[in-house]
Amino acid sequence: MIRRLSLRWRVAAAFGIGLALVMTVLGVATWNLTTGYMLDQREQSVTRQSEVNVRLVTTALAEHADDLDELLTGLATGPDSSILLSRPAGWLTSGRQVDPGVVPGALLDEAQRGVAARQRFTADGIPVLGVATPVGSDSVYVELYPLLELDRTFRYLSTLLIAGTVVAALFGVGLGAWSARRALRPLASLTAAASRVARGDLAARLPDQSDPDLAPLATSFNTTAGQLEQRVRRDARFASDVSHELRSPLTTMVNVSEVLERRQDAMPPTAQRALRLLRAELRRFQRMVVDLLEISRADQDEGDSAVELVDLGELVRNVVDSRPACTVRIGTDPATPLVSADRRRIDRVVANLLDNADRYGGGAVAVTIRPDGGNARIEVDDAGGGVPPALRERIFERFARGLHAARRDQETGSGLGLAIVADHVQRHGGRVWVEDRPGGGARFVVELPEATT
Amino acid sequence: MPTHVLLVEDDAMISEALSLALEDEDFAVTTAATGEDGLELLESTTVDVVLLDLMLPGIDGLTVCRAVRERGDLPIIVITARTDTQDVIAGLEAGADDYVTKPLVAGELAARIRALLRRAAPGRPARFALGELEIRPDEEAVHRDGVPVHLTRTEFRLLAELAAADGKVVTREQLLQRVWGHDYFGDTRLLDVHIRRLRRKVEPDPDSPSLVLTVRGSGYRIVPEP
Repeated sequence: MIRRLSLRWRVAAAFGIGLALVMTVLGVATWNLTTGYMLDQREQSVTRQSEVNVRLVTTALAEHADDLDELLTGLATGPDSSILLSRPAGWLTSGRQVDPGVVPGALLDEAQRGVAARQRFTADGIPVLGVATPVGSDSVYVELYPLLELDRTFRYLSTLLIAGTVVAALFGVGLGAWSARRALRPLASLTAAASRVARGDLAARLPDQSDPDLAPLATSFNTTAGQLEQRVRRDARFASDVSHELRSPLTTMVNVSEVLERRQDAMPPTAQRALRLLRAELRRFQRMVVDLLEISRADQDEGDSAVELVDLGELVRNVVDSRPACTVRIGTDPATPLVSADRRRIDRVVANLLDNADRYGGGAVAVTIRPDGGNARIEVDDAGGGVPPALRERIFERFARGLHAARRDQETGSGLGLAIVADHVQRHGGRVWVEDRPGGGARFVVELPEATT
Repeated sequence: MPTHVLLVEDDAMISEALSLALEDEDFAVTTAATGEDGLELLESTTVDVVLLDLMLPGIDGLTVCRAVRERGDLPIIVITARTDTQDVIAGLEAGADDYVTKPLVAGELAARIRALLRRAAPGRPARFALGELEIRPDEEAVHRDGVPVHLTRTEFRLLAELAAADGKVVTREQLLQRVWGHDYFGDTRLLDVHIRRLRRKVEPDPDSPSLVLTVRGSGYRIVPEP
């Protein structure tokens, strides 16, 4: 099966075929009319001339049949005509010499029956018009008029018509391609806008179209994009509102549980265990609410961040220092890269990656900060089992907990940590991914565009 | 005598739970459900710190905050509903010394309150000059040409910390830690608003500071001789 042609080329082909058809019909009509008319004219003049000649021959035959040769030579004919006279005794010829055998039998038969006849045929490679007229009782006068000139005219005409058709078809293809491209130009801007929406730019819209054929398309695209944007924002606001509403009861619960914890020594062992479970779940609940708020806020507001010049090396050192239990090796170049960033968000990124290493990777072993051709990289290495390739994209999704989905204990996170990382990094125009660390374990790489100073 | 906290919070459950937990931290807590009640209580009671929810029925938290600030430099911690920049900045601009977001935990809150009430570290000279300013740490007072410049306690401590560095850069993290008792993840917006407020009071021209200078990407420093 041949691959289907693109719309543009289909339009072009339709134009080409259409024009070729029209030109063919016109050409055939022109051909028929012209050739018919010209042949008609020629036949009439030939017939008239031969009638004159026949009358002379008839008279000659009746009066002095011996001088026929001389008479035939003296007959007025065209320069390349041939005159043949069939007598019972044989053929008499004059003019351009032809073999009498080339005269079709049917023509002679017709004439012998007493009817003048005309026929076109080729004599010795030359197209001729033959006129056969019965003369006297037993003779047939045949005159052959060459049609060479007419034939040349016809050939010229047919070449002209065929060439015209081909040129028109090619012109049609070109015209079709050009107009299709013109007509499809708005489609290209539609494609661009749609792909911007797909990339997450929900504010992408098509410019207003003045063309009445295109205006409905632009309007309906913009309406759809607007509804999509509204819906996404509503969803984001809902998540934010929910987590926001959860904070008040959570505040009460957390503080009450603190009061209870202070008095746990006075509690029976069962109540102590119950309280311990309650506290653990409350901590988790709190983390989830805070993370959910962080990520839904990230969904919502644009431009609400304080961007400043941040020294990544210093930032990472500060984050690591704020975690007393963290004994990670920090590797930096003497000149650590600077990035333009919202410090709070990058703090969060580094802290979440360290949390992730603690929870699932057996603790971070090294954090490396280095420039990488216009970008600044933070690499967080752990000594865990690594991340299987199939999960390397999924672990950055919300509530995707990879291999650990089934295990849930006190150390479980909110399920949003890496999603927040991905979100914040993307917000800074950077990328984050996970790869194998040489020597085992996982390496989380954050790449941020380096600040231009 | 325990530190006396006035808690202005309309959610009765939160109010009660926080009271219980703060009392466990050795604070005396008086609660008010509305801004009006809170301001009225301040007339009759002596409190050491105000804990103020910004979302209140009746007169809103920001108005209450400004009213309290007009009365004097009583430390105020606002409870913001959201961590959105606008909310936080609005609260701080209204005169709050610090802010917390729900879910707030009594233990953390207690540390914040203690940090706010802490006096400037002793062992410094009783008076020292800083350009046109004369700083008296023991009185927590600042004079310009003999005229007192009114600073809140937090603003004063911020100035004192910067002055003590003697022209060297003090990083944001250090300032947040020393003045507010925040850990590293403290909010720099808190610092930015306070610096702005401080500049308005001590700079000859607050729009082009000549005394408290920003060191880009790092922190602040004070120029001893402008």
